[in-house]
Amino acid sequence: MNQSFLSIQKVQKNFGPVTAVTGVTLDIRENEFFALLGASGSGKTTLLRMLAGFEKLSGGDVQLEGSSIAHLPPNQRPLNLMFQSYALFPHMTVAQNIAYGLEMDKLPKKQIKASVDEILQVIQLEHLRNRKPDQLSGGQSQRVALARALVKRPKVLLLDEPLGALDKKLRSEMQLELKRLQVEFGITFIIVTHDQEEALVMADRIAIMKDGGLLQVGTPQEIYEAPESRFAADFIGVMNFLPIRKSSQGFVTANGLAIKANQINNSASNSDAVAAIRPERLMIGEDGDNALSGEITAIAYHGLDLLLHLKTDLSETPIVVRMTADVAEAHCPSTGQQINVSWYAKDTHIFFA
Amino acid sequence: MAERNTFRLMLLILGVVFAFLYIPISVLVGLSFNEGGLPTAWTGFSFKWYGALLENDDILGAAANTVVVAICSTILSTFLGTFLAVGVEIRRRNGKWLETVIFAPMIIPDIVLAIALLSFFSLLGAKMGLHTIIVSHVVFNLAFVCAVVRARLKSFDWSIVEASADLGASTITTLYRVMVPVLTPAIVAGALLAFTLSVDEFIIAFFTAGAGRSSITLPMQIYAMIRFGVTPEINALASIVMTVSVICLALSQRLNKGGLSG
Repeated sequence: MNQSFLSIQKVQKNFGPVTAVTGVTLDIRENEFFALLGASGSGKTTLLRMLAGFEKLSGGDVQLEGSSIAHLPPNQRPLNLMFQSYALFPHMTVAQNIAYGLEMDKLPKKQIKASVDEILQVIQLEHLRNRKPDQLSGGQSQRVALARALVKRPKVLLLDEPLGALDKKLRSEMQLELKRLQVEFGITFIIVTHDQEEALVMADRIAIMKDGGLLQVGTPQEIYEAPESRFAADFIGVMNFLPIRKSSQGFVTANGLAIKANQINNSASNSDAVAAIRPERLMIGEDGDNALSGEITAIAYHGLDLLLHLKTDLSETPIVVRMTADVAEAHCPSTGQQINVSWYAKDTHIFFA
Repeated sequence: MAERNTFRLMLLILGVVFAFLYIPISVLVGLSFNEGGLPTAWTGFSFKWYGALLENDDILGAAANTVVVAICSTILSTFLGTFLAVGVEIRRRNGKWLETVIFAPMIIPDIVLAIALLSFFSLLGAKMGLHTIIVSHVVFNLAFVCAVVRARLKSFDWSIVEASADLGASTITTLYRVMVPVLTPAIVAGALLAFTLSVDEFIIAFFTAGAGRSSITLPMQIYAMIRFGVTPEINALASIVMTVSVICLALSQRLNKGGLSG
């Protein structure tokens, strides 16, 4: 398998004096489900639009299977984009929308019809084939937009916030559906999203973007368990941050509590730092290498688990502790209660300011 | 009580305004059916003045000219105006002054435009006739078609144009498979408006028609006839012109509002 299937090389985009994408280099593998994750304004959509051909590169190159596609107009690229707004043709039926791309390839009519029938079956919308887009629900429109891009069997399918307009329940269903389709069709998917949960659930690899550049690229596990920056740690999932200082005895909090840590990121040019701990790594009791105590100020019930907010003198924001249902049953936490929690040194991430 | 009186007063004003607007037109239409032909006495209902129109070769000739001018100028201005609108919307960034330039023919008084066009054709040494009327009508119709199509483009979802390109369509294919079908209601509305304006137009046609009977349009014919007094034939003719205009305008309005649902 070719390691660099889609190779993004030092790609840059300037809009006048504003730099939207700052020299991004990224190799995307064949049949990979890749997520570009970032807040709005991070440059992820601009990067995607450059791959589709709607924005000219200000610098760098994009190569697909070893040959440059940077100079090709959108209609000559073997990539298809599923638009955030779906961009269905309002004057065409569902079937006509899906057939459009195949007609552009000048395929024989019979073959077009067979392909359209097949994909309608895959997205389970055969019964709506003669509807116009304004007679479809949001979820149905989303499926049609997906089918229209997928039916051409592009080498790479680009998806711009594909689930952004759906409600929460439908969104989680479609996350698995998209993943299934990606495997079934054996096509490389590149998805742009601001939703970290979406990226974690679907992607094989994630690139976190910030200010037009890449912050970290890795598998969901790597990104979640070993964030390389404070921003990444904060952006993905829930994270507790304790302000600390580096002293001759190691890391200590403002009131002198020593913090033991194994994961130390970026070198110390100054002594101010934060210790970051995931809520699920905090255990009731004192078994861990580090311990703290606090008063429960709030309890949020989530069914599978509870989130406790602890007021401590270690940080201004409350410490979040995640407690699974069975642990919660054993401990019966209540607000106002004082509890001790602890965690292992391996679960402490240190980020210098 | 006071509120009720205010309401009645408002109704009264409304009635007066409508009377002011529509009584003259109603009188004209009514008299066109008056058998006697005198505006002072109603002698009975008749279509005879409409029949008389069909026997008047001058009027039939003028009507034919008007239809030729209206159809030609509508086709040309619809074609050019649509492209103009699309072009201006795409290049919106530096469009402010362009906008003013395009809409100038809508604001400039007809008489000024008429004199300007006459001078222009004289300068070119052009032989005047129906073709110069057509070109002149295109000048102002262009602005109207462009305005109608642009209004629709304001709410146009440009991502469908990108989607078309993404799916492999060339610019030309995108234009006739995606843009034109979606814009069709606005384009037809613009065309109907242009047709109406052209049928009605007098001053510019009068100035650019040149000499001779061969290029007289209906409004010019009516003007020529009216010098000898308002005849019932003119009433009938005016009623027909008005009906055509009203139908075109009503269709144009409908299409313009209908938007995408078609």
